[in-house]
Amino acid sequence: MNSQTKSQFIAVASITSELSAVMVVAKEISLAAANAKAIAFRAGDKAKGFQPITDFINELAKETIELVTNINVYALLLYRLTVNEYRRTAAYNRFELVGKLAVGAQYADSMQEPITHARTIMQDCQRQFKRDVTQLLGQLEAVMHHARAARVIAANSRIEASQAGEYLQSLQAVAESVDKAAHTIHDNVQRCRIALSIYRNS
Amino acid sequence: MKMTKIYEGAHQWVMFGRDENKPDNIIDSNQYIVRTANKCLLLEPGGTELFAPMMAAVLHHAPVEQITDLFASHQDPDVISSLGLWDQALSNAKLHAPALWEGYIRHFGCESIEYVPIPDNGETIKIESVELQIIPAHYLHSPCGFHVYDPVAKILMSGSVGSAFEAAGAPVFVDRFDVHVEKMRYYHQRMMPSNQAKRAWIDKVRNLDIDILAPQHGRMFKGDDVKRFLDWFDSLQVGTGV
Repeated sequence: MNSQTKSQFIAVASITSELSAVMVVAKEISLAAANAKAIAFRAGDKAKGFQPITDFINELAKETIELVTNINVYALLLYRLTVNEYRRTAAYNRFELVGKLAVGAQYADSMQEPITHARTIMQDCQRQFKRDVTQLLGQLEAVMHHARAARVIAANSRIEASQAGEYLQSLQAVAESVDKAAHTIHDNVQRCRIALSIYRNS
Repeated sequence: MKMTKIYEGAHQWVMFGRDENKPDNIIDSNQYIVRTANKCLLLEPGGTELFAPMMAAVLHHAPVEQITDLFASHQDPDVISSLGLWDQALSNAKLHAPALWEGYIRHFGCESIEYVPIPDNGETIKIESVELQIIPAHYLHSPCGFHVYDPVAKILMSGSVGSAFEAAGAPVFVDRFDVHVEKMRYYHQRMMPSNQAKRAWIDKVRNLDIDILAPQHGRMFKGDDVKRFLDWFDSLQVGTGV
């Protein structure tokens, strides 16, 4: 296995790992939203502005979980494609070697068709991989967008929390946890994007 | 890859082995083809590392499209781990291999090649007009294995039985049986688990008319050395690993 193939395998495998961490964090946001909703309910009028924000947070968490679930399925397909491309490339390289070793053999020419066929399939796999990576990067961008939105919500939450009297600390803690989660999601997804970006369609 | 024609009649048998470019840390193995007018059966195709030299060698005898049948005596990688490559090279081929090992052998890659499962009691394979008997050889190394007997060529491809590990470039036929015995002893005692299975196989094989006994590793036996081998194997206690 050459170093490019190894990197490709690692890049694809690392997506699943990074995204499983994102999934955990998204679930934490969902929990924070439920917590915030309960606090805002108890705070009544003092946290009036905070109440709709909790719905936003919850919605955002749900959408992130859904997106990541879909991306994970896609990442698995990409992994299978990587395995297939590896096998096809290995076969093509061996077939080429057969062509060289068989020089002078009575039926050497009959190897030409398998070589051509293997080359075509290998190139199809490579193109398909690039297309799929480009699409996956698009999906990862959507998660990044959610992470950015979560940070804006966290900032608004802080402002609303400051009006909440004795509930200030509790609601600020919610805002902090959403902000922290958004950071984590952003960083993890960014690592996925960096790992994959060298394989995208130019 | 050394090529030795071992039978020439209406069809041919060719033995391949002693690949001088083989990596040192993998064992040498023998491959065989049965060539008829329009078809070619490849016996014990070999490991992945061997695919390119083996295919190149076969092209001296048959075009790719006429390699229509493969046979694997058992599931080991030195027998058939090249399957995934043959699978991509051959557009219309069958693999005859033990039914018991189908789910295992498919791990090597078998999408376009048709897997033809051999039942425990063996069967007959027909390659054009050549009928080959598939002889059960269970527990003679693998729990489920088969050998191939050609009654016209009087050749028994005996898989692991008769195998020996040789130095690179060793002759393809046994020349001094008494010397060769020591190259086979440990392999047979350690790899073959059952004296009962050994006896059943010998009883069956003694009834066959064999000119050449052709194992998967080491040298082939011909003429009187075939009987010498059967007598030696008969008297050998196997299953010494425990």
